[in-house]
This record gives sequence, structure tokens and C-alpha cells, in this order.
Amino acid sequence: MSYMDNTTKKRVLREGVIKSIWLATALISAVAVAFILGHVICTALSGFLFNTNWNPTGTPPSYGIAALIIDTLLVTLGALIFSVPLGLATAVYISYVAPPRMRDVVKPVIELLAGIPSVVYGFFGMIVLGSFLQKALNIPSGACWLAASIILGIMALPTIISVSEDALFAIPKDYKEASLSLGVTYWHTISHVLLPAAASGVSAAVILGMGRAIGETMAVMMIAGNAAIIPNPIWNVLSPVRTLTATLGIEMTEVATNSMHYYALFGVATILLLITLLINLTSYWLIKRMQTGSCLPDRMRNWTHSEGMRVAVAAVAGIIVVWFLSAVLGILSAVVITAAIGAWYFGREKISPKFAEKSSFGIIYACTAAVILILAIILWDIFANGLPAISWEFLTGRPKQCGLAGGIFTAIVGTLQLVAGAILITLPIGIGAAIYFTEYSHENLLTRALRIGNDLLNGTPSIVFGLFGFAFFVIYLNWGTCMLAGQICLAFMILPTIIRTTEEALKSVPNSLREASLGLGATQWQTIRKVVLPSAAPGILTGAILSVGRAAGETAPIMFTAVVFSKRFITRDVFDPVMALPYHLFALSTTVPDVTTQHYGTAVVLIALVIAIYLAAIFSRRHFQKKLFR
Amino acid sequence: MHSLKYFSKVSIAAAILVFVVLAVGCIDAVDPDIITVSTSTTALPAVQALIDAYMDNHTFADIQTKYYGSGAVVTAVSFGISDIGMISRDLAPSEKEGHIFKESVICHDGIAIIAHPSNTVDALTLADLKDTYQGKITNWEKLGGADEQIVLVGFNSASGTRTTFNKMVLHNEDASETMLEYNANGAVQRIVANTPGAIGYVSLGYATDSKVKSFTVEGIAPSVTTVTDRTYPISRPIIMITNGEPTGLAKDFVEFILSVDGKKTLANHGFAPA
Amino acid sequence: MTPAIQANHLNLFYGTKQALFDVDILFEEKKITALVGPSGCGKSTLLRCLNRMNELIPTCKISGEILFRSENILKADPVELRKQIGMVFQQPNPFPKSIYDNIAYGPRAHGEHDTGKLDTIVENSLKSAALWDEVKDRLHDSALGLSGGQQQRLCIARTLAVSPEIILMDEPCSALDPIATSKIETLITDLKQKYTVIIVTHNMPQATRVSDMTGFMYLGKVIEMDETQTIFVNPAEKLTQHYITGKFG
Repeated sequence: MSYMDNTTKKRVLREGVIKSIWLATALISAVAVAFILGHVICTALSGFLFNTNWNPTGTPPSYGIAALIIDTLLVTLGALIFSVPLGLATAVYISYVAPPRMRDVVKPVIELLAGIPSVVYGFFGMIVLGSFLQKALNIPSGACWLAASIILGIMALPTIISVSEDALFAIPKDYKEASLSLGVTYWHTISHVLLPAAASGVSAAVILGMGRAIGETMAVMMIAGNAAIIPNPIWNVLSPVRTLTATLGIEMTEVATNSMHYYALFGVATILLLITLLINLTSYWLIKRMQTGSCLPDRMRNWTHSEGMRVAVAAVAGIIVVWFLSAVLGILSAVVITAAIGAWYFGREKISPKFAEKSSFGIIYACTAAVILILAIILWDIFANGLPAISWEFLTGRPKQCGLAGGIFTAIVGTLQLVAGAILITLPIGIGAAIYFTEYSHENLLTRALRIGNDLLNGTPSIVFGLFGFAFFVIYLNWGTCMLAGQICLAFMILPTIIRTTEEALKSVPNSLREASLGLGATQWQTIRKVVLPSAAPGILTGAILSVGRAAGETAPIMFTAVVFSKRFITRDVFDPVMALPYHLFALSTTVPDVTTQHYGTAVVLIALVIAIYLAAIFSRRHFQKKLFR
Repeated sequence: MHSLKYFSKVSIAAAILVFVVLAVGCIDAVDPDIITVSTSTTALPAVQALIDAYMDNHTFADIQTKYYGSGAVVTAVSFGISDIGMISRDLAPSEKEGHIFKESVICHDGIAIIAHPSNTVDALTLADLKDTYQGKITNWEKLGGADEQIVLVGFNSASGTRTTFNKMVLHNEDASETMLEYNANGAVQRIVANTPGAIGYVSLGYATDSKVKSFTVEGIAPSVTTVTDRTYPISRPIIMITNGEPTGLAKDFVEFILSVDGKKTLANHGFAPA
Repeated sequence: MTPAIQANHLNLFYGTKQALFDVDILFEEKKITALVGPSGCGKSTLLRCLNRMNELIPTCKISGEILFRSENILKADPVELRKQIGMVFQQPNPFPKSIYDNIAYGPRAHGEHDTGKLDTIVENSLKSAALWDEVKDRLHDSALGLSGGQQQRLCIARTLAVSPEIILMDEPCSALDPIATSKIETLITDLKQKYTVIIVTHNMPQATRVSDMTGFMYLGKVIEMDETQTIFVNPAEKLTQHYITGKFG
């Protein structure tokens, strides 16, 4: 730089120094602002978010929810470890491996698994799984993280299976042919082409399953032990835990309204809502990617392809699996299993593709069989123990002695009333919204926002609806505990499903039909009423029936808003409370110590009711599919 | 269009079903007299027994029950959600503000300390109990039993039983964080009955079962007699509250509870008369 | 002349519907053979028998024999067979992976993990498919970003990468524009140096341009098979003549 003489150099230097001084002051002020803000927020949150001590009745009371959040995440993680491999294997089986006839059996079975009400899972977990774990592992109490994770895993299975199956189904058949024509085994094709191509959809499935697990209340509350502690050590899967949802479920009926504790519970609900919002946004984003045809974004592709990343992921996954297995099966078997997996991983280039295919398919069959076996065990246990309770007296009598004698007539009718009311409220709104989305609006900011809002509503934990209904209808509007409040809460809960299924049904009506009608001079409303709605009716009907099934089995939205423990006569006024089957089962199992045939009988009636509704939906869908495609 | 015909058939069927469901409410040809009783879980079996007994003689009465923790019972009564409330602790001064509750003690309830039937320990002192529940004693060996880890079972925050236990045994200090928490006597009793190392506290009515054994506390065995004469150290009153003077069915039912028949029913469920 | 692959008394059923009737046909080594005929005549079905892709259809039943290296492939292992007999489809169907990974997919699946060797295979295959110059600077971009013609050449390169003996092509140009088509045709004529190519086409001029031999099929039967010149100028069968002169089809 010969053209720069000394003075110029000095000047440049000086300018540079001055500039950096100003930069430094600017940075200081920015850091100061950040620090002050951060400090204020941290102080505000340290009592709530970062405090691990949840003890609202202590002196002084403490409302730290860190332990609850960590427990929630741990339980969900455990559920995923259990359900993701089983779920993916079953989805692969259904979409790629199963002969058509088997597929026709396995798919409805999975749908039935989705239809079992969560309170029945909780009941099963408490009575059967809890005591099994206690005896098998020789632990003080079967109510623990592991039990909760297993039950939540089972509950997340249908979501994971059906969403990933949809994703796998959407992969073009071309890929399979292209790969097979290169002399590659079918398993290699599945694992190296088809599954990676469906990565976005499959991850969305896992995340939705995670949302299902995080949002579940009743089952987890009945089997997790509910001690608000972080497991010690943190991988102790046999420790009792308490999730955010369970805290709401247990304490909402225990606190005095408008106390500090009451508001703290709403704080818990807010955090829960934020977590599920995050989850839903992620899955929404992933599914969008899937639909627009792009796979993983380039940057992520680079990660997944870098060797280091793979090793890191494998290592983390390995550690988690080892820890889980060692807790469940003991350290020795964990080492053996890990060694086997490791040997497979590192030796997989050596083993013949044929053998890899055989063993992988073997594992897939085993996983699918396990899923079906789980369903069979649950249903068998409940029906074998519950059917003896079913009698005319049981079905038509009124409860006596805290439900230990007498019947459940009022509960059966109450459930039907709740569901009928919910569907009456939600159908017009849901169908109207769906018509607006598909027929009137063009894709713009408003509709996109409304649609995202709808998707988010769909993932809201059901207990949050209950909390809202309690605070608004029961307390603020001073309706008291009443049927109408429960019906509205259930209506809100199933609204997104109704909107979505109606939308799908409307979209499947070919545009040519609309154009034909409009071309004849019909107005838009005439077209919708006379042409579009009738053709979409079967789909709408199926969606409505499925929603009814879901509403009939739900407990969390009605337990604070609509139900009483016992009642003699059928409710005739919407402002009077009702009895409901799912709550009755919950109340019986948690307050009445002896497990009687009455418990099982109630579970049988509840499952039979919900399954009947689901079967109606499955058959009507089949019927219409045949009709439409003939 | 075939599917359309089928659809209309299905929807007519569905409509009929909905109609039947709604109309089924009219099967009961009576116009029932309805009140709601909120009760703390502790008093639930006894209250339910009182209601069953009352309703046997009053065919048109429908007394509904709902169970909560005691705090929520007070809320329910003060918001008019329930006509009568049963709480298993004293009303706090803050709860009385702005309301005129009519209170009457209907009975006394002992809190029994229970364990698995195989437990060899028979007697505990209040000090032992406090140390145990605070995690200072973690093995039954220390209490004279077998070498077995102690599993603490208790109630969740905000139950009246827990409040009483905390006051009378723990002197309002915190229990150990490892305590398993349940929200009903039934649940606590079942867990203790299934868990060899467990210790739990339940309402006396839940301790009579042979599935669990109960300890003597300070040398006194829990029973209706020892609670009645107040020699058993851990007991509390069950208080019935109404928002002002009860009327109609509520008044009649309250009178039944306080009658001789009502007291007999309570005693049968392990509650000591007031 | 040496036969590369030949079918004897081949019958094929989809469920109860017969699609191929007693087909006897012989394909010569290092020659390009075109199969022509009206839609539904069974030419694609025949082609897909040669590497047993028809077996993906559950209701498909085959009798007769297909000899490849004097072995009946219907009794052999289809996976091994397809390494020898590659296929290019009507629609370009690259995997949603990078260009490099698309080509390297086959060799990797067959146990080749040496990066240097893979690089060579990828480069040679792309060069043979006349695509190297267009993509050499973006080997790690997604293959889905290529144009239709490029994608089809990529698929050909992908097939070449497992070094088959025979390449089956099922109307490889029907989804492409004329310019892309002519590039592929040039490529096909180059391929016969090393490979036996069997191509199904609807496009008569294309058959005359690229093939040495032509077989004419009608209603599941092979009507005639001869030098392309003979078939198009002086066919032995009346049916063939009708077809190539556009009287039906």
C-alpha cells in the first residue's frame, strides 16, 4: 500500500478507533437493555418457570412449574421411544408390506385403538399395567413415569401410524419401480428411498403423536403417581412424575376459585398451550413442506448427510435407548441388545441385502403383531372382566352406594345428551366455516390465518377446554355445573375435526360439477345447496360420526363443567348437571378402592358405545367409497 | 345419486336417534326436586349413604353429589353451584369473608395411618410420623420393622385431609417431595394395599378394610370410639355448610342428617358423632 | 448373431385376463430392438417380463420360460436379475435426492462404499448418458431441479451405474419435448456399443431412427420380428403393413 503515507495511515487508524468506540457504546446500551429486560423477565419467571418446587399448600406456597414441565417432557419422550418404532414399523407394514387382505384387517384395528377413550386407557393402566409393573420389577408402586409413558405411547400409536401411513401412501409409485429395476431389494428401497422421501410427513406424524401425548390428561393422571418431582436420577423411569395436564386435572377440582393457586393453574394451562402451539406449528410447517413436494430444506439435508451428524444422532439415540432398556430390563440385557444393534449398524454393509431384508421384515411383522396384541390384551381384559356386570338392572338402574351397586342408566343417557347437544351446536358452525373456506374464499392472508387457527385449535389439549368452560360458563356466567356448558366445551373440541373433514369432503367434489351448475345459470348458493353439499354429504357424515365418537369418550372437558358424581333422574334442563360414562369410570376408579365388576362394566359400556360409533363411521365410509367409485 | 338416497336414509335414522335421546328425558314421568351436595372426597361415602337412605323414602327427590377438595366445596357453595357442602376441615377466615355460611359439625373423622398388611410395625408416635413424612426416616427398620424402603403416599395439594394431616402431624412444614400424591382416599388406600413398603393416611372409614392395617398413634388405635372421646390424636370435624338458611328439599335433607337416623348412618361408615 | 435374451411359450395372465399369448421372441446382443404395436397389445407387459417387474402386480401369473445366459430367469432371483437387466421408465423418475446420490444409489446398495470408486462410477455414468457437462458443477443439487429431458438422461445414467447387460426402455421419450427426445435418441444409438437395448415405442419414426431390429405385437402376440428396414419397408404380414401405414392403431 505504497500510496498510503504515514499521516493517512494514522488518520485511518484514528477513524477506526473512534468508530469502534461508538460501536462499543452502542453495544453497551444494547446489552444494558437486554440485560435489564432479561433480568426483569427472569425475576418474574424465576418463581414460576424456573422454580422446581410446586407446593401450593406449603407455607409459604410455592408455584414453580419447572418440575412439571420437565416431567411432561420426560413422559412424552418415553412415550415416543416406545411408540415411534412400533408406529413406523406398522405404518410401513400397512403401506408397503401387507397383502391387501391383511391391510383391510390391520387398518380398522388401528382405528379402533384410536377410538378407545383415554379414561379407559387410564383405567387399564392403573389396574393391569400398574400392578404388573409393580410385581414384575418389584417396585413400591406401579404408578410411575414408565407406566405413563407406555400408556401414552399406546395412545399416540394411532396418530403416528395413520399420519405416517398417509405420508408413505403419497410417495409416487415410480420411486419403487425405479429402485427395484436397479436390482435393489425391496427393503433397501423402502429404507433408502421411500422412507426418506416421506421424511417430512413422517416427522409430522411423530410430532403430532407427541402433541397427543403432551395433551393427554386423564390416563396420565391415573397412572403417573403425580409427585411433582424431577426423577432422581433424571433417568429413573420408575420414579413417580406429574405432568402439566395432570396438575390441572387433579387440582382444578380442589382449589378455591380466585385464589392465588387458582391463577397459578391458569398459568400452567398457558404454558401447556404454548408448548402445544409450538408443536402444532412445527407439524403444520412440515406437512406444508410435504404437500409442496419439497423434501427437507437443503441445509437440513446437508446435516443429515454429513457423517458426523449421523454418528451424533446415532450416539444420542443409542444412549437414550440403552438408558430406557437398562431401566426396564436390567443392565445386562440392555448391553446385549445395544451390542446387537451396534453390530448390526456397523456390520450392515457386510451382511447380505437378502438377509437384511428378511430380518427387517421380520422385525416389522413383529412390531405390527405387537400393536395388534396390545389392543387384544386391553379389550380382552376389559370385556372378560366387564361382561359379567352387564345386566338389565345394570343398564337401566340408578347408581347406589357410590356406584358399587345399582346401574348406570343416568350416565348412559347423560353421555348421549352431551354428545347430541355438542353435535347440534357444532355441525352448523363447522359446515358453515368449511363452506366459507372452500367455496367462497380465495387463498389470502385472512383465510390462511383462520386455517392455521383451526389447526391450532385442533391440537389444543382437551383439558384446556374444560378449564376455559369452568372459568367462563360455570363461574363468570354463573351457570353453575351444567349440561349446556359441557356440550359447548365438547362442541369447541370437535369443531376443528368437523371443519376439516367437511372441507376435505367439499374439496373432493370435482370442480366440473360446480362449473356445470354455474353454467346453467344457478347462483353460487344454489350450486352449493343442490350440487356440492349433496355430493359431499357422505364425507361430512363420516366426519360427524367420528367426532361424536371422540366426544363420547372425552372426560377432561366435562369434568369441571358438566358432570356430577351421582344423580338419580335423567337431566331435563340444560342448566342442570348430568352424569356421564367416562367421568363415572374415572370417579369410580379413583375414589372407590375396590376394583369391582361395576368398574369393568362401565368400561365395557363406554367402549362398546364408542366402538359402535366408530364402526358406523368406518362402514359408512366404505359403503360410500364403493358407491362413488363404481 | 344412489349414495344420496342412502345418505338421506342415514340422516333420518340419525335424526330419530337424536330425538329419542332427547325425549328419553321424559321417561321419568315425575318432576323431580333437585339439589346438589358438594362434598370433600373424605365424606363422600358417608354423604352418599345418607343420600341413598333419604332418597329411599322420598321418591321425587334427586340429590346429586359432586366431590371436590374442601377448598373447592366452599367455592361451589358460595357461588351457588351447590346447595349444601361438606368439608373436612374448619372454614378459613378468608373463606368466610363476604358470605354468611350456616355451619354445623355433623361428625368427627379420624385420620388413620395405614400400611400394607404384611408390615410388622404396629405402633407409631406423632414424632415418628413427622420424621417419616419429611423423609428423615426412609426405612421401616428404623421404626422396628423389616428392612424395607418406606414409600410415602399422601394427598395432593388442596385436599382437606392433607391440610389436617399437615397441621396436626407436620406442624405445617412441608412433606417430602417424593410422596406419591392422589386425590382420593380410595386411591391412597389401593396403592397402600398393593405396596409392601407403603405408608399412607386415610379417613377412618377407609382403614377398616382388611386389605390394609392401621397403626396405633401414641398408643391409641383409631376407631369410632377413640375418635368420639378424642383420645385418638389425629381427627377433624366434618362440617356441613350452606349459604344462608337452607330451604325446601335442602332444609329437609339437612334435618335428616342431624336426626338420629342420619347419625346412625354416619356411624356405620366410621364417622364419630359430633 | 448371439441371443441376449429370449422368451419361449410365454403366457401371462392378469387375474383371469390373458395379456400375452404363447410369445416366442429373441433379442440379439448389442443391438437395439424396438417393440411396436397399438396400445394394449402387450408390448410393455412383455418388456416388464424381461426383468420381472410384472410381479409387483399381485394378480399376475406367468408360464413359459425366459432364457438369459441360458438360465430360466422366471426361476431365478429377481433382485440379482435386475442388476443385469436395467429399466428406464416412461416418466422420468429420479429419487428426491441429489444428482450424485441418484447415480450412486445402485452401486451403494450393491455394497460399493469407496468414495473414490463411487466418484468414478458417477462421472462415467453421467458421461455415458451425455449429461456430465450439464451437471458436473452441481452434482449435489437436488435431481428434481433438472428439466424433464435431463431427468430422463439421469435415469439412464442411474441404470448404467449398476453396469447391466441389457437396458429395457418403456417409451422413454413419450413425456419429453422434441429437442429432449432427439438427445435421448442419440444417446440410445450410442449405447449399443456396450449394451443390448430393448425399447418400447409408440413413435414409428423413432423406431426407424434408433432400432436395428423391430418386433410388431398385436393383441398379446408377436406378429412379426425382423430387421427394422424390412419391417417398415417390406413386412411379411398384412397386419404389420396395416399398422405401419396407419390403417389402424
